[in-house]
Amino acid sequence: MTPGRDDLDELLGAYALDAVDAQERQRVEEYLAHNPRARAEVEQHREVATMLSYTGAPAPEGLWDRIAEALDDRAPAPEPGPELAKVMPMSPRVTADPVPAPPAAAPSLAPRSVRRTRRSWTGVIGAAAAVVVALLSWRLVDVNRQLADARAHGVGLEKAIENLQQDSTTRRADLLSTDGRQAAHAYVAVDGTGYLDGKALVVLDPDHTYQLWGVVQGPAGQQVISLGVLGRQFDVAPFVVRQGTLLKLVLTEEARGGVPVSSQPAALAGDLI
Amino acid sequence: MKDDLSEYSDAALAVGIARYRQEALAEAYRRHAGAVYGLARRLLMVENLAEEVVQEVFLRLWNQPDRYDPARGSLRSFLLAQTHGRAVDMLRSEGARKQREEREARVTAEAGYDMELEVWDMATAERVRSSLAALPEGERAAIELAYFSGLTYREVARELEEPEGTVKSRIRSGLKRLRGELVAAGITTGGER
Repeated sequence: MTPGRDDLDELLGAYALDAVDAQERQRVEEYLAHNPRARAEVEQHREVATMLSYTGAPAPEGLWDRIAEALDDRAPAPEPGPELAKVMPMSPRVTADPVPAPPAAAPSLAPRSVRRTRRSWTGVIGAAAAVVVALLSWRLVDVNRQLADARAHGVGLEKAIENLQQDSTTRRADLLSTDGRQAAHAYVAVDGTGYLDGKALVVLDPDHTYQLWGVVQGPAGQQVISLGVLGRQFDVAPFVVRQGTLLKLVLTEEARGGVPVSSQPAALAGDLI
Repeated sequence: MKDDLSEYSDAALAVGIARYRQEALAEAYRRHAGAVYGLARRLLMVENLAEEVVQEVFLRLWNQPDRYDPARGSLRSFLLAQTHGRAVDMLRSEGARKQREEREARVTAEAGYDMELEVWDMATAERVRSSLAALPEGERAAIELAYFSGLTYREVARELEEPEGTVKSRIRSGLKRLRGELVAAGITTGGER
């Protein structure tokens, strides 16, 4: 017998604890795919379960080395170039700041490169001139794709914005639409972590998504990078630009899932000040 | 520019991992490997299997960083959910279950097994234990058996000699009640580091 909605709701706690069989798991996941409320409940149950694991044991010595070794096995030959080139392919001959050394407290890591699958996403795209959102590369850092369903978790991001607003070193960008009717505000910390407040934006239709792009001053000139596919609506979207100086933020409307190269005009744009 | 990853939020670390920065993964490991290993070992009770789970969980984070969405919860929560799921899968395979049972038999004879565990935040752990203890017995037992023994709710029902539907409901209501207890105890659940 196919379980009804109430039966599936009753299963959410057990599902969150991995205490259902494979068939039930599949049914619940199908249910969750169309039910944001149920998804939010499962997230809450999992957070609670996390707290139950609030004790740990030191990970065995040497375990990190084995993980690092496994990364090595999967990595093709090191890809030369700055980190920005990994984020957004630029001219292959660019030179830039070296990748920063790992923190002293972290396990040591040999400088390796990326996996083959990733590099294929970032196939070479010629560096385009400055501010025009015409030649854009794509990074699949979809850090915020389901923010619309996660309002319950939005408090931490709101708090992050509040903190940045009180910090005199924070840079700000006011993104405006060309007709001036829409606005979104971004705050970027000195370490490159930023948050875009998009609560005032219109909700796009289900087949479209907002995508955020940054114009970055890198060693090879100005480049445009994708900072995230944000979904059809979002409250606060986090993003990070670690290399180069972020000059401008641009928001485009794209087909659902985002695009590697945008041909859309900027829906909103604003300079960092 | 000084680039001290220890100052990064988990959300920023996740972005760094997505951008192929191995040092970001190393920092995530430094922060969370203990909790991940602790949970895996508690579930599997076999050190080499627990290590295997830790390895899988961090490699999966490296290979599929976009599966972690900072907006949906903390990185620790995500990693522990992955850990639990993988450990339970292993536990439900016959070999691992047998190893666990053998280990369990030995552990019960070893006084102070829990003392071997390094409690990385004793105060919080104590409050969590108190909150769990405050639940009605039926809810607490169902949650503990499901979560820490890796049993399905049907297996829990057999273990507790209760109807399956009752156990299913108790797990759900117990988790909701526990959340309330944790919030009342001042322990936040979710959000960023």
